[in-house]
Formats: sequence, C-alpha cells, structure tokens
Amino acid sequence: MVVYSFYIFDRHAECIYKRRWLPRPASIPGSKSSRPTSEASAQATSAPALLGQSARTTDDDAKLIFGTVFSLRNMVRKLGGEDDNFVTYKTSQYKLHYYETPTNIKFVMLTDIKSPSMRIALQQIYINLYVEYVVKNPLSPVEHPGGVGVNNELFEESLEQFVTRVLS
Amino acid sequence: MTVFSLIIINKAGGLIYQREFQPGLRKLSTNDYLVLAGTFHGVHAITRTITPKLPYLATTPASNTSTTTSSTPTSATALASPSGTTTPIPNTTSTAATYMYPIPGVAATGLDSLETDKFRLTCFQTLTGTKFLLFTDPHMANVEPVMRKIYEFYADFVMKNPFYQLEMPVRCEAFDRNLNGWLRGRT
Repeated sequence: MVVYSFYIFDRHAECIYKRRWLPRPASIPGSKSSRPTSEASAQATSAPALLGQSARTTDDDAKLIFGTVFSLRNMVRKLGGEDDNFVTYKTSQYKLHYYETPTNIKFVMLTDIKSPSMRIALQQIYINLYVEYVVKNPLSPVEHPGGVGVNNELFEESLEQFVTRVLS
Repeated sequence: MTVFSLIIINKAGGLIYQREFQPGLRKLSTNDYLVLAGTFHGVHAITRTITPKLPYLATTPASNTSTTTSSTPTSATALASPSGTTTPIPNTTSTAATYMYPIPGVAATGLDSLETDKFRLTCFQTLTGTKFLLFTDPHMANVEPVMRKIYEFYADFVMKNPFYQLEMPVRCEAFDRNLNGWLRGRT
C-alpha cells in the first residue's frame, strides 16, 4: 500500500503538521535527503517544479482537507448520533482515513484505495509517536501554533520509520 | 442486509427525494435534510479536487518520450466529471504534463463511499450529475446491485413519468411503491 500524505489538525482547526510522501522516492535523484525533513523544507528544496501544484499550495490543500473532514464529521454525527464517528471515505483515486482523539486532535491520512482500514495505525501514531515525542517533550508548548513543537526530529524520524516500515 | 435510507440530490445540490426504509439513523427535520444535501454536494466536489497528484517522473521511466507520456492524463481528465465542474487539466503546451493521478486512466471522482461506526454511505453519481446516496449497514456486501436497481426504478418510474418536472422533488407514487416492495423482498 502507498501512503500519500499525513496531516494533524489541532482543536483550533489549525494544521500543525503535514507530510507528504512521493510514491517512488528512489527514482527521483536528489529529491530525498538522507535525514527526514518536514514538509516546509522539503518543499523549498525539491518540490515546486516537480509536483506541479498549479495554483494551489500545500497549505490550501490542508485547509481543504480540514474543511472536508469537518463537514463530513458533522454530517455523520447528525445522522448516526453523537457517539458515531466517520472512519474512512473512498473515491476512485484515493482513500482518506480519519481518527480523532478525545482532545479533538484530528489525524488524517491519504492512502491508495487498496489499503485496509488505518484506524489502528492512526491510533498508534497518536499513542506511540505523538504522545511520546510531542506531548511528553518538556520543551514542547501546550498548543502548537504553526506546528511549533510537533516538527521535532524524534517525531518526524519515527513517523517516517512507521510509515515506511510498518505500513508498507 | 439493511438499507436505512435513500437520498437523491439533483445536479445543483438540491434535495429531490428522501425516504427512510428501516430505522437505524436519527431522523432529521426537512430543513436539515436540505442542508445535508447541499453540504454533501459541496464536499463531494472538494473531495475530487484534493486527489493526490503525483509527479510524473515518479512512476514513468525517464526513457519514455514526453509526447507519449503526456497524452495519457489529458485523455483521462477529459472524460472526467459528469457534474460539469472543471477538473484541472495539465498544461499540455509544455513538453510534458507535470502530474498524474494515482490510478492513471481512471477519471477522478468525488467521494464514492464513506464508512462510519454505524452506517455506510454509498454515493452513485449518474452521467447527468444526479447523486444517489444510499445509507446501509456497514457490514452489508453488494451495495452495487441495489444501487443499480434503484437507478433502474428511477429511470422507469420517475424519468418516464410525463408529469415529472426535471430537477424538481420526486413525487411519484409508482416509484415509492416499487422501491419499497423490492427492498422489502430482499430482506
């Protein structure tokens, strides 16, 4: 299975972390540095010409994804009751997985359509990576405006490992 | 197998039909259903635009000439979108298109099916942009034939009804009767 991208939104609807994976990084020489980098720096070095994002930036993408997920979540709660939660949706091209913690942090992952349910995986990212490396980090702020505190090396590296080793 | 309810949304996002077949979902007011239809219509369009775009070089070998590779995504996007909204068409004037969809050759659609803890929503969009939303049990298999049959009933009893006005709420007794009878026969 292929993971296309991963987003974390905090309870103020702000995107505090985003990361995209290209499907075959090996075939693009020089597009991938040895150390995993956050989206912002990866964009600056290699992506603009390559990804061909015509008018929309990745920032806008994150906002669109949040809007979608937010509307669908509200719709599902209206129909299924307050304790219902939407898990995943699928289009002809991709699948979006959604997990929300009790503290309203939203984890979103876009994968290919053949991938199985990723609810457990997202939960594990929250429990084993986010809580361990972001929440328990004494230097990390309580809120993460602009992604401060989430883009630390330990979290990014272990996320990278989790996605490349565990999920593929 | 359980079919909870059916919603039909016209191509402008207006609710034209809503029926509940079996209890299971919460009942909403008519106004809420109208809002839901409109919201879904919008979200459906957005889910298509956020389709991941992969850089071209990623999957096609570099030895391919740019003319052959650039022809595929344009033909794929050209047959897209029944609802008439524009899909991003790669810049064909340059030497090669800059991105492609994960599954080349398949038109990007909006949300096809959505799963929650309590139900599954399957969306079928006709070529003219009408959307059928079917709410079923999350474990129900073979939603496809049910959807096909519902579309068939729609074509037979709504579209062939000489008194039905296009894009207006569906009030056709024969449609209701056949739909109810058929769904009851399946359970």
